[in-house]
Amino acid sequence: MNRASLHFLLAALVAIALPLFMRSGTLASEVLIFAMAAAACNLLLGYTGLLSFGQGIFFGLGSYAAGLTLLHTSLPLALALVLSAITGAVVATGVGWLSIRRQGVYFVMLTLAFSQFFYFLAYTFKDITGGDNGLLNIPRPAIGPFSLGESWAYYAFVAVLFLLLFAALQRVASSTFGRTLLAVRDNEERARAIGFPVRNFKITAFAISGAVTGLAGALHALLIGVAPLSNIDYHMSESILIMTIIGGTGNLFASVLGAGFYVIVSDLLSSIWPRWLLLLGGLLIVVALFMQKGLWGLLERLVEALPMGRKSSINSSIESPIQPESEGRGI
Amino acid sequence: MLNRRDLLKLSSVAVGSLLLPTGLRPAFAAGGDITIGAPLPMSGPFAANGKFGSMGTAMLVEEVGKVLDRKLSYLEIDTEGKPATAVRKVQEAMERGVTLFSGGILSSEALAMGKEVAKGKGVFITTAGADEITGSECNKSTFRWSVPTFGAIEQTVRPLIEQLPNAKRWYTITPQYVFGDGLLNAAKAIFKEKGIEHVGNSYHSLTEKEFSGYLTNAMAAKPDALLILNFGSQSSDTLRQAVSFGMKNRMTILLAWASGLEQFEALGPELMEGVYFGAQYWHGIDSPFNRELVAKVQAKHKMNPNYAFASAYLTTKILIDAAAKAGSADGPAVTQAMEGMKYAGLTGDEEIRAADHQVIKNYYLLKGKAKSAMKDKDDYADIISFGKSFQSPEQAQCKMA
Repeated sequence: MNRASLHFLLAALVAIALPLFMRSGTLASEVLIFAMAAAACNLLLGYTGLLSFGQGIFFGLGSYAAGLTLLHTSLPLALALVLSAITGAVVATGVGWLSIRRQGVYFVMLTLAFSQFFYFLAYTFKDITGGDNGLLNIPRPAIGPFSLGESWAYYAFVAVLFLLLFAALQRVASSTFGRTLLAVRDNEERARAIGFPVRNFKITAFAISGAVTGLAGALHALLIGVAPLSNIDYHMSESILIMTIIGGTGNLFASVLGAGFYVIVSDLLSSIWPRWLLLLGGLLIVVALFMQKGLWGLLERLVEALPMGRKSSINSSIESPIQPESEGRGI
Repeated sequence: MLNRRDLLKLSSVAVGSLLLPTGLRPAFAAGGDITIGAPLPMSGPFAANGKFGSMGTAMLVEEVGKVLDRKLSYLEIDTEGKPATAVRKVQEAMERGVTLFSGGILSSEALAMGKEVAKGKGVFITTAGADEITGSECNKSTFRWSVPTFGAIEQTVRPLIEQLPNAKRWYTITPQYVFGDGLLNAAKAIFKEKGIEHVGNSYHSLTEKEFSGYLTNAMAAKPDALLILNFGSQSSDTLRQAVSFGMKNRMTILLAWASGLEQFEALGPELMEGVYFGAQYWHGIDSPFNRELVAKVQAKHKMNPNYAFASAYLTTKILIDAAAKAGSADGPAVTQAMEGMKYAGLTGDEEIRAADHQVIKNYYLLKGKAKSAMKDKDDYADIISFGKSFQSPEQAQCKMA
């Protein structure tokens, strides 16, 4: 089995295991929704070297697009989701087109500025977005004969979409386009010298990431029946980035691990200790200092430590996009 | 690379797993207990309010012990101050059989949770501020104890104008969103009616921390009274900066929506002396139920109850009393029992209006005391006046489904 198939199999196992081990269909759905958002973020961070604080914009706009479509039109759910993905892609193209004109810290600042810009747009146009109160009463219509009202039924729907999107993102990552993104990340000047249209590649990566994140935002709004202002806040971008970094930027499945870990651990810790954010902060420090490949890297080390793991590591290939020593170079 | 056939196979396995009998999943139906859900911000910026709210609910549940011959318990739900987390956790609690909820301090959380509880035909009673809760977004399952913006202004601005007939020029500082506009519009209506000159208004954003620019504009307009319409840490920051600019000596200051004791502890008597505050609750209220609660809390926790504590205690009591009256903990039965319910509350006689689920209760105008006049460490203010002012359900735009 090749590496991509193994990762897809692991993603499918996660989708199968969640209903068996979790008591809440809502929480399980949230894990997969954020797994999609983190995987989309990973396409930018891990594969293209772009540390974007704009992911919250696409997530929030996806929520609003789905909510407004379902509240004010009679379009079916599938079309509302497609519109959310298109909204995410279009806005991401614009944000990407302007942001990638600068590199390094200036790129990060531009995405942060866009994040604030869209937050205040949503806050100001309260007649459309609901402002601080959020966009309320978002329905969760049925898909054909299948009702999505029950939380595990909705989970099944999210799980199918998650697996389809995961496979699609894998396809993108392993395509010539994806390989070129790695080349751009590792040495942008060299890629440009070879003749790659680096700028177009980065904008396309932004658009794909925006589409998937927008769709994740739409699924989130359907999950809770509300598109809250916090969905477009820069804290949302921050959370998605933290999930991506905790999981590891090495491959797309690492983002699934990161999202699952973040959502489930946050839920557990918050019920145990009100100051749980302190623990999360501590964990981030540990990841930054000692686990730069994230949870996936830790998993790799554990498997390699096993007798059989020494012979065949779960990720022994040189094609891994993990390049912790080069982290930050591409931004 | 995975081919299409493998993908389809794996997808069908994923879907198939979801169709497993529910018995294979962890069982989480509530047992014989009646559980009160307490969705509160236990972490995040509003954690202090959440903590006292939880203490209030816990104390009442412990005190009552049993209702309808069933053990009473409570489930603390940390909303983290985020509507999305709040809704998700309320969904989970409802899946576990919880139908009665008391909590939701933040408006955005409360609105979203109210909708969710309504879907599951539960009951939710909150103390959040947004007028929409019992206004345009009212629903069959949601009740609100706190007085809306209209009543808060009617019971603070109007009596103060009557007390200070020479204060003819008023300046307002307003957070620019629905809550702030609700307070501002109510104040403008009174200004117009009483012939008061509204000499200016400064809008600020929800995230503003620096108010000196707005206060400079206010001073330039030379008002007789400054009306502060923001709340929480923003109102504390506005007041601190106004006092440091010497505005307290030049004009009357009214902070129309104060949090009460928890805010006064942070401000201190030096800042508060001579300043007027509007409050939903004050531990010095002279009502039988409040006196009883203050004595109990002092005995148990060696403190006076603040707004978050007292309101959570009372709203939990309302739910339990309604369940006892209905003879059932089912949402629709409890809702029916609550509609029109009259009871001796914290602020005196209170009543739940059936048409919009708004509790009809008093709102208070307080005045900060000098430190030398304080009888004990919490005696920060005197009650100047109080009363009940509410729009009709039609004026509040409540159309109960």
